[in-house]
Amino acid sequence: MKKCHITFQLNGITCEVLVNPNQTLLRMLREDLSLTGTKYGCGEGDCGSCTVLLDGEPVNSCLVLAAQVDGHRITTIEGLADGDKLHPLQTSFIERGAIQCGFCTPGMLLSAKALLDEQPDPSELEVRTAISGNLCRCTGYQKIVEAILAVAKPDCECSSNDEKNCHGGD
Amino acid sequence: MLLPKFDYNAPADLEEACQIMANYGDQAKLLAGGTDLLIALKKKEATPSQVVALDRVEDIKGVCEDDDGLYLGSRTTAAEIAEFDFGPAGQALSQAASQVGSPLIRNLATVGGNLSTAMPAADTAPPLLALQASVVLQRYGDQRVVALSDFFVGPGEQIMLPEEIMSMIFLPRLPDGSGGAFEKLGVRKALERSIVSVAAVVSLADDGQTVKEARIALGAVAPTPMLAHNAAAGLCGMKAAPENFAEAGKNAAQEARPRGLRTSAVYSRLMVEALTVRALTKAYEIACK
Repeated sequence: MKKCHITFQLNGITCEVLVNPNQTLLRMLREDLSLTGTKYGCGEGDCGSCTVLLDGEPVNSCLVLAAQVDGHRITTIEGLADGDKLHPLQTSFIERGAIQCGFCTPGMLLSAKALLDEQPDPSELEVRTAISGNLCRCTGYQKIVEAILAVAKPDCECSSNDEKNCHGGD
Repeated sequence: MLLPKFDYNAPADLEEACQIMANYGDQAKLLAGGTDLLIALKKKEATPSQVVALDRVEDIKGVCEDDDGLYLGSRTTAAEIAEFDFGPAGQALSQAASQVGSPLIRNLATVGGNLSTAMPAADTAPPLLALQASVVLQRYGDQRVVALSDFFVGPGEQIMLPEEIMSMIFLPRLPDGSGGAFEKLGVRKALERSIVSVAAVVSLADDGQTVKEARIALGAVAPTPMLAHNAAAGLCGMKAAPENFAEAGKNAAQEARPRGLRTSAVYSRLMVEALTVRALTKAYEIACK
């Protein structure tokens, strides 16, 4: 089994890695590069907890071989914040209680980011469709959908009310 | 889940890919979107010595067109197909592609992979059958073109030789006044394998009311995706009217050969009937526009 030498952009940084051909992208991120924000759930593309952005599009990193990302651009949850400054989606998830156990959260955030990058003003249905490959067993999705919509439509009535409540608790 | 050991090949073009497949034959597995292959590898259902990734083979991605019809690259993803405008009849295909798995799966999964895994419930198979697609199978120094209706053999089985690569799917140009639609029944809206799926393509005569040609294709109700020939033939020359669509629905239900695996055969047939009527009605409406 000949190792593969790959070069790719990871969260804006050029990475050169020697990987086994039978290594998934998920394992390389977690085990070789210690980026454990990307979670290993089902390993079969059903749960979405391993979601990363491949050239800006969300994919299940458990279904991609590490060798396949040669020449491509990967964004993981570690690449979402700008230094210490959280991404607006991350802030919104925290403020609106869209996180419970947190296992689905990195994947949810990346699916949401990909949606908003493409469609800054999505409908609720578009939000629900965009996260339909990301399973959450805690929240019932409602607060996640609200948190994403609040970033997309910061002026809408429901989110501004929520915001007052949230800030009141700070 | 660890993957078995294999060597990774990333040919730069179709010729190199064919050469590798000619060398290794059934020792090699093609990797397109990976949404089926990686799972098969993890479950040790596939243990190839070589994995041949088609990522870099640009000439089998995307859509091109000439006077005869459309050429759809086998490496085109479900997400790309869902966004592409294939014309009024081709809506059956883009609708089906938009319902494959989840957004995450659709960004990886390819139409060539969906066809060559040959699952009875494959979402893109019924619309492509109804659109009279044929597939181009390439091997080193040779190629053949096979009608999709002759491609499937049984669950997970099709006619491809181990060294063959599906390069293109050809969709012949349909007459003006054609429309297509896809209906999928599942218990949830995402990550669902169809319980029953139906694609219908209707071409209207110049009067805009008479069905000149029709094709109805069924998924998940036989060992392979299948065309309901009798149901479609019964519609030709008839008025595009609810009573005739209802009759076609009944005929399609009779032609279905459900094995009663995921749901009862009786239920499958009832759903074939209902979904056929819906798909024909929508295809007709689209054809009228």
